[in-house]
Amino acid sequence: MTDFQANTTQPIFKVGDRIVVKSGPPEQHCRTPSYLRGISGSVVEIMGQYQNPSQLAFHQTYVSKIWLYRVHFEQVDIWPTYSGPNGDTVEADIYEHWLIPA
Amino acid sequence: MSHPDHPDHDHDHEENAQEPAEDLRNLEQAIRELLDEKGVVTSAQISQQIDLQDSRTPSLGAKVVAKAWVNAEFKRELLSKPLETINHFFNLSISTPLELVVLENTPDVHNIVVCTLCSCYPRMLLGIPPAWYKSTDYRSRVVIEPRVVLAEFGTQISDKTEVRVLDSTADIRYIVLPMRPLGTDGLTEQQLEGLVTRDAMIGTALPYFTE
Amino acid sequence: MQRKVNDVGGLAGLTINREEHEQTFFEKRVDAMLMLLISPKVEAFSVDSLRRAIEESTTDDYSKRGYYDKWLYAIRQLLVEKGILSDEEIEQRVSLIKHRKR
Repeated sequence: MTDFQANTTQPIFKVGDRIVVKSGPPEQHCRTPSYLRGISGSVVEIMGQYQNPSQLAFHQTYVSKIWLYRVHFEQVDIWPTYSGPNGDTVEADIYEHWLIPA
Repeated sequence: MSHPDHPDHDHDHEENAQEPAEDLRNLEQAIRELLDEKGVVTSAQISQQIDLQDSRTPSLGAKVVAKAWVNAEFKRELLSKPLETINHFFNLSISTPLELVVLENTPDVHNIVVCTLCSCYPRMLLGIPPAWYKSTDYRSRVVIEPRVVLAEFGTQISDKTEVRVLDSTADIRYIVLPMRPLGTDGLTEQQLEGLVTRDAMIGTALPYFTE
Repeated sequence: MQRKVNDVGGLAGLTINREEHEQTFFEKRVDAMLMLLISPKVEAFSVDSLRRAIEESTTDDYSKRGYYDKWLYAIRQLLVEKGILSDEEIEQRVSLIKHRKR
């Protein structure tokens, strides 16, 4: 059974906050897709605290918990030549350490 | 268009319809036998697990959608506490460390689900994902050209409706609650269930009803 | 910045092959084996480590190997990493299986 350190801190971001996804460098076993790195978006939901997948991926005994957010992005902000209408979007679940305030 | 990383690669045949090459069969058998002998995973457990997986089909997902269409209280509870509500109303005990989120399609938003990084899928409600969902072609294209992908599936969404792609990057699993098709007021819950396809719950299709 | 092999969001792709087939017996066995290995009762390794092991494959292997083939190679790698099985005993058993078939 992997032990984890319960992260007792509060989430840094709240719903509605504008954020930017960090550009990198990617960690080992990174769950922040390349196509979202460096892109601005907004927090739509705080999903809770989850065990750090980068630590779980290497059988680590002590695994920290990280706040996870569902983040909303406009397609036109992600792809310079997006072919669909302006209102189209992407949402993804991003870990706190990958987000900075916009 | 050819894939820039694999110029010689035709379509993405990531799953073989036939049994694999002998080397792989031998490897699987070797690992299975060794795990059984060491008591890590027994042959009996593998058989039981196969039976359990075979029993999981999109029909549970379809039942959930049909009930949400006819029962406003269920729908409200479902959107707020999905797994708890499903377990309660269907007398199940689905337990998973994963969260389930139900994405409601509306005239303003059409949701479509993908896992660009691997193949995360709400197996607890839909069973095993189809090969195309796991393919690099779907995973690479749906985030950048969702409407072109939808058109390939025969699905047109109005330009006035936001197409929202959900990339399942973490431990949350997403399922789409499609809109109830027009003309179905006279149908029973069971009949409505029959209209809900797996693809409608992924977001690549829309349920429809013709007399 | 170099992408990992699995990080495909936004890359060019082809018409999606929508052909479906029922799971073969091999696929069912591999699927079942994995689900049991990552289950809380067994916890041989985490699903995150499975993903990480697949991400470590070469671009060539990633594109040519079938979905469940990728799982099987990753399962093998992880069982050896965790010291549950050794490469030697796996190799020996494979030879034995081939010999039985003659």
